Amino acid sequence: MTESVMRSSEFTLPKEKQVSENVRRARTSPVRWIAAHAIRYWYLGIGMLVGAVSNAAFAAIVPMIIGRAMDALLQDPPDVALLGRFALFILVTQIVRGGLQLGRNFSAELTGQRMERDIRHELYTSMLGKSMTYHSLQPVGDVMARATNDVREINFMFSPGLNLVIGSLNFIFMPIILSFQYHPTLVIVPLSFLVLYVLSLWQYLYELRPISDAVRKAFGALNTRLAEAVDGIETVKGMANEKEEVERFEENAREFRDKRVHQGDVEARFIPLLLMGLAQAAGLAHAIYLFQAGAIKVGDIVGYFGLLLLLRFPTFVSLFAYSQVSLGVAGARRILELINKETELDQNIQGYDRTMEGELEFQEVDFAYPEDELSLSGIDFKVYPGETVAIVGQTGSGKTTLAKLVNRTYDVDSGKVLIDGIDVRDWNLEALRRQISIIEQDIFLFSDSIAENIAFGRPDASQEEIEAAAKSAQAHEFILSFKDGYETELGERGVTLSGGQRQRLALARAFLTDPRILILDDSTSSIDSETEDEIQRAIFKAAEGHTTLIITHRLSQIRWADHIVVLRKGVIAASGTHEELMETSEAYRRIFSE
Amino acid sequence: MGFFSSLDTEEYDREYQDRELAARIVGYLKPHGIRMFWISIFITLVAVAGAALPILVSDGIDRLSRNAQDEVIVLLVGLVFLSGLVTWGANWIRRRLSIRVISDVVMTLRTDAFHSAANHDLSFYDKFSSGRVVSRITSDTREFGNLIVLVTDLISQMTQAVILGVVLARIELRLFLYVIGFLPLLFFVALGFRKIARKVTREGMRAMAKVNATIKETVSGIAVAKNFRQEGAIFEDFDEANLDSYHMNVQRGFVLSLVFPALNALGGVGTAMLVYVGGMNVAQGVVTVGSWYLFLVSLDRFFFPVLNLSAFWAQVQQGLSASERVFALIDAEPAVVQKGHIKPERLEGEVQIQNLYFRYEEDEWVFRDFSLHICPGESVALVGHTGAGKSSIAKLIARFYEFQSGQIFIDDYDIRELDLHAYRDQLGMISQVPFLFSGTVAENIRYANEHLSDAEIRDLAMKIGDGHWLETLPDGLQTEVGERGGQLSMGQRQLVALLRVLAEHPAIFILDEATASIDPFTEWQIQQALDLILKDSTSVLIAHRLSTVKSVDRIVVLREGKIIEEGDHEGLLAQGGHYANLYNTYFRHQSLEYVEKTKKLAEERRLS
Repeated sequence: MTESVMRSSEFTLPKEKQVSENVRRARTSPVRWIAAHAIRYWYLGIGMLVGAVSNAAFAAIVPMIIGRAMDALLQDPPDVALLGRFALFILVTQIVRGGLQLGRNFSAELTGQRMERDIRHELYTSMLGKSMTYHSLQPVGDVMARATNDVREINFMFSPGLNLVIGSLNFIFMPIILSFQYHPTLVIVPLSFLVLYVLSLWQYLYELRPISDAVRKAFGALNTRLAEAVDGIETVKGMANEKEEVERFEENAREFRDKRVHQGDVEARFIPLLLMGLAQAAGLAHAIYLFQAGAIKVGDIVGYFGLLLLLRFPTFVSLFAYSQVSLGVAGARRILELINKETELDQNIQGYDRTMEGELEFQEVDFAYPEDELSLSGIDFKVYPGETVAIVGQTGSGKTTLAKLVNRTYDVDSGKVLIDGIDVRDWNLEALRRQISIIEQDIFLFSDSIAENIAFGRPDASQEEIEAAAKSAQAHEFILSFKDGYETELGERGVTLSGGQRQRLALARAFLTDPRILILDDSTSSIDSETEDEIQRAIFKAAEGHTTLIITHRLSQIRWADHIVVLRKGVIAASGTHEELMETSEAYRRIFSE
Repeated sequence: MGFFSSLDTEEYDREYQDRELAARIVGYLKPHGIRMFWISIFITLVAVAGAALPILVSDGIDRLSRNAQDEVIVLLVGLVFLSGLVTWGANWIRRRLSIRVISDVVMTLRTDAFHSAANHDLSFYDKFSSGRVVSRITSDTREFGNLIVLVTDLISQMTQAVILGVVLARIELRLFLYVIGFLPLLFFVALGFRKIARKVTREGMRAMAKVNATIKETVSGIAVAKNFRQEGAIFEDFDEANLDSYHMNVQRGFVLSLVFPALNALGGVGTAMLVYVGGMNVAQGVVTVGSWYLFLVSLDRFFFPVLNLSAFWAQVQQGLSASERVFALIDAEPAVVQKGHIKPERLEGEVQIQNLYFRYEEDEWVFRDFSLHICPGESVALVGHTGAGKSSIAKLIARFYEFQSGQIFIDDYDIRELDLHAYRDQLGMISQVPFLFSGTVAENIRYANEHLSDAEIRDLAMKIGDGHWLETLPDGLQTEVGERGGQLSMGQRQLVALLRVLAEHPAIFILDEATASIDPFTEWQIQQALDLILKDSTSVLIAHRLSTVKSVDRIVVLREGKIIEEGDHEGLLAQGGHYANLYNTYFRHQSLEYVEKTKKLAEERRLS
């Protein structure tokens, strides 16, 4: 116990698994952040660069040698011995080139894979370190999308993205560098190509981006409505609305078609392709002119023209390599948004840390979510140790929010929440939460065995303790009805439990940690009366000896609670015992009439 | 990039004859005949211009090496310029035309597919999950579009290769055969890589899926983990899956990194040999230097078609099976067949089921010789255990399924003679999980009755508990309900669905009551809305709530497809038969009596 008290609420990892300080500092900009990650694998970067340069150089050797071979053949008599040597040289260089290219590709691939691994690791540990407030506001789907797709995008940004960008840029540089050997002026064409290529590519990507967004949006709209209509086909048919749905679909499909055609039109007019054709022709004309002026030989024309053919690679690759890189940066930006979101609660390590009696009091509490209508105001009531309070009200009346103020998932805007007469903000957060157990509306169980799930809060619990907890929660019998009993696996590959069964497991989990205050968000329904009986018994048992806050829909629980708080639109509409409310509240009376 | 794109093909059983399939595909392309014609012209142009470049250059080299006349050289250079311009220009036009053909065909196919999906009866949806239907309409149709791109690209590359091939063969046949002989080697190496790549990709994806599952589970459970301070344990799960996935994907990465270097090296070997063999031919005077050069430059241009060809059949098959799946969706036979098209006036709402035989699956009768008469305006609650046939009755009255024999009359019309659309217009239905469409609450209420004004909707909403329920919605009637109504609670969704039916004012109302737990205040509002509907419509209710069985005119007790008891709540309970049994199983805990009893029990336990 002492150890867990010592530990601060922020979750920390063993040292070798921690994210480095350099990376943390770089979290201000996505590019810096990616660079900070990538720099750890600088040797792979060098491998990629060396591979890229030498691969391009070795590719450039082929046309140059062919040019030399041609000159050798054009001699009188042709120099056949030289021809053989040239052929051998090509053979060797091209096999070596294969190795170099592999080095380039695999360096990039390895960097990408490691980035994916490391960034997912960083994101995940950062999620673990965030407060409960953060997680209760952050949809799981969002975190999932960041941890899967966006992390992937950063991998793809390196391979194939940057790999092809760097690889293909070298194919532009080679003609510029190597054309000097034939004649200095021959650099003009490849150099102008580079300038125009960059400009036209920039324009192309700039023009394409909003259109691609529009295409994606149109497809999203089409797909969402389609999925809804097909899922709700019974409703569509029951309302005789097939025709309207087909019309709506047709409209969406046409919208998508128009956007896609627009995108296709921009893609079709791909200027770099034109530039490449013109560069080849202009370069050829230039070389022939120099030849006729006697400045270069026939083989030089062939070699030079061959160098210009290298431009094909960057031209075609640029269709997607650059957008791959920008997708990676966008992914990094979204991941950083998640990581950088701070939470406001302080841990208050110096705060009160002692065993609770369980007295709970709300004093004139106001609370509002930022940018949200839902709020609580003037909440004021007191619960004595061991009492049970039922919180009732319609959806949106603020029941769940009220419960979350107790364990400081949120802090009040004004007023106070007191436990044993001490403001919850003055408690040590760890001590506060350790003694309050919340069973949420959606009960989460891990894909482990039933025993492991019950012992989740106390992994050292013995089998007897686990079974005792399960018995108190009325879960023992249904657990034994499974073939593997307590070792039954739950989740995707295991059995699926009903809402009532899940709830009882969660109760067992709480029994084992024995909290002072229990908050139970009970909204499961029982289809049959027998299950209802068991749940009643379990909840009653749980309420025994603990201060209990039950958010409930069950009339029977409302009936036996010591105190009932009726919420309406964030204010207390009525409060008191059952008998009092039957007298004072018409709405309350109504729900107890048949 | 065709090489990697089709790595995840799947097995598919053929359902169509090839000829039939081809005819269907041609049918969709036919309206674009003129465009297709121009596309093929421009494809040829692109291919010719592409092939012309090396031919022109090699011819120029011959002339230059013989010190030819300036004018011809100028002309050749001009033609090289032209080839560059044409390659780009013809490609531009071709792609503009292609994107139109593809987008139009895909759009038509999608609309056709959804049109028939919307018209299939519910037995179809029992067999195909909605996710599969959606993916047929979106992804499979897109695959079909890709098929067109694939074929035109390959044709373009092949045409170019053939033109070059003919030119080369005419220059020197033996040298040409040498080049051609090299290609199968390339082809099989590429094919081999594909096979390995598929295997490692599959493994990589599996490891990836495991990481995702782990993240999903632990992130969903993070609140629990934090509550019990177990972050360390779930971190270890994640760490292991993440490292596993890394190792698998590095293996995959290595294979994919190897493909192009290996093929390039192979191409280099071919070039080196051609330099030597061709060069010897030049030295012997068999071919000119220009022709030798043409052979060398052309080698590259055979390279890509061969590479693509190695992936081509798998991709084409994938495209064809995708189109088969789409056509299968379009062609599925409807089980519900109407014999007539009577569009009835306002129905009274009388339902007569006579000697009905019905089953979903062979050999498993739900009803045998079943009869039930529901009078106009009557409200009937169906009760019984799961599988007793409650919802089957509702679905048959809605004409979602075909029955095997017997008869159903609505008023005095045979249900098979009715125009389905007109009939269902007078039918109000709510399924167990009430379904809302994204949009506002008002839009959902208006779903069945477009002409309703805002004021009328407001009036309807105010009828329920003086409109107090609107307070629970952040923007009242203008609240967005989210996808499938997910932003609303179950109780709110039920209220909106009930209002939708109220707005429709149906002759017959069918309700499969929700079992979800609803707060008692909303419950009371739901009861109010329900009472309003029951007053005006013939109602068939699959009841799960005690207050519902108490408020209907008649309770029909079902067991294994037979009516075993009928009557009202009090009477049936007094009988002590199957209904009393059902009451003890399903309804007892909803009674006030039970509530009071728990209170007493609680007190006793507390005292003891």
